[in-house]
Amino acid sequence: MDIGTIIAGVLTLAILTFLYRDNPIYKFAESLLIGVSIGYTLVIVWSTTLMDILFRPLLNAGQLALVVPLVLGLLMFSRFHPRTASLSRLPIAVMIGSGAGVAIPVMLEARTLRQMTATVGPLVSDGTFDFSVLVVLVGVLTTLSYFYFSREHEGFFGRVSKVGTYFLMIFFGTTFGYTVMSRMSTFIGRMEFLLTDFLHITK
Amino acid sequence: MKRLHSRHWVFLGLLVVITAAMLLRVPMQLRTSPETQRMFDYLDQLPEGSVILVSFDHEASSLPEIRPIAEALLRHAFERDHKLIGMALLAEGTVIGYRLMEQVAEEYAREYGEDYVYLGFKPQFIAAILSMGESIPATFPEDYLGSPYATLPLAQKVSSYDDVAGVLSITDGSLTTHWIEYGGARYNLRVMAGVTAAMVTTYDPYVSSGQMHAMIGGLRGAAEYEQLIDVGGGGLRGMLAQSTAHLYILLLVIIGNVLYWREKKNKAGKR
Repeated sequence: MDIGTIIAGVLTLAILTFLYRDNPIYKFAESLLIGVSIGYTLVIVWSTTLMDILFRPLLNAGQLALVVPLVLGLLMFSRFHPRTASLSRLPIAVMIGSGAGVAIPVMLEARTLRQMTATVGPLVSDGTFDFSVLVVLVGVLTTLSYFYFSREHEGFFGRVSKVGTYFLMIFFGTTFGYTVMSRMSTFIGRMEFLLTDFLHITK
Repeated sequence: MKRLHSRHWVFLGLLVVITAAMLLRVPMQLRTSPETQRMFDYLDQLPEGSVILVSFDHEASSLPEIRPIAEALLRHAFERDHKLIGMALLAEGTVIGYRLMEQVAEEYAREYGEDYVYLGFKPQFIAAILSMGESIPATFPEDYLGSPYATLPLAQKVSSYDDVAGVLSITDGSLTTHWIEYGGARYNLRVMAGVTAAMVTTYDPYVSSGQMHAMIGGLRGAAEYEQLIDVGGGGLRGMLAQSTAHLYILLLVIIGNVLYWREKKNKAGKR
């Protein structure tokens, strides 16, 4: 058995000790996981972002335009001192401005218009009634009515918004069910590793 | 034993149920969902040699669920002789993606540079997706191993999204939405995904609206796909344990409700 498998097996068992109760062995494994993850991410970001995109092109290829993002990036650190903190607004303004400029038209298209188009599909296509389109339409309208707070939820409007809550509950239930399934899959994956690679009980 | 609470018994029960199911290894026959079938049909009907972008947009913690999904899709793609370009939009997915591609490529005797390349990680996912739409070589001047992009025979044929059949995003979070919103909406890139079960409901609206072409979800999706390609893997191996665990949870929910109603009835009787 290689050293990697032994370490992975021991750390998996250390994490699972939390199921009994919080303890130093679990804390050690948890801290190690966070430390390794951050360390790995830092190394990757340093080599693929700062070195590849900024320092090498700037210093080796003489791309002087890169001084602008370098200065903007450094200005972010001005937040650490109250007297210079206001300077950090400049890079933040650039980030928010460019981010919003890029995102707004795309979001409008992908999240709003395309989704609305999919919601109001034809109820009858090729002479056949499409029940699922009706369900989507009723679901969207009743759920939206639940989030309309400018009118009291009573009478007919109250009953409509009540139907919306049922759709919401179905959605939450489905999402929760899938999440349980996902967590179970993760546990099964680790159990498979423990039983097969670490303990060699199964093949 | 006094220190064991009811939750400990629940955990112990789950451990026993899952271990027993894994030791039994009873093969299961699954009904393929339309979404998984759609993914299979698409990869199966693509002309041989089509280039597919595979983006490993996940963290290491979801590997037990992501691995069977990624392996099944990569196996099918290599088996159909498609060419794959790997990359990652999350730092933690970088080395995992490379190792998975290397491992599956070895199974099918595929060669690095000719049949697949791995470009590595690119930070700032929105900027990366948009930049690749303009020029992939400019976004990734070098591959993960440090070879210049232009020296890789497969990469030479690919300069932007126009040269790829689509992107296959393997994800445990919401990164695929950026592929849909920026790659799909802006560059008409065909987006497909292999997602963890927890993310299925997030992406379902995109599948329904046609913004995402196909999706396989969770261990179940991986198992269905393994069945379709007739290659066993972690999905099929884990399905019995998954189903047994679900039955166990259902049983606990029923027991919990019965106890709750009995307690309520007893309290009402005392009044």
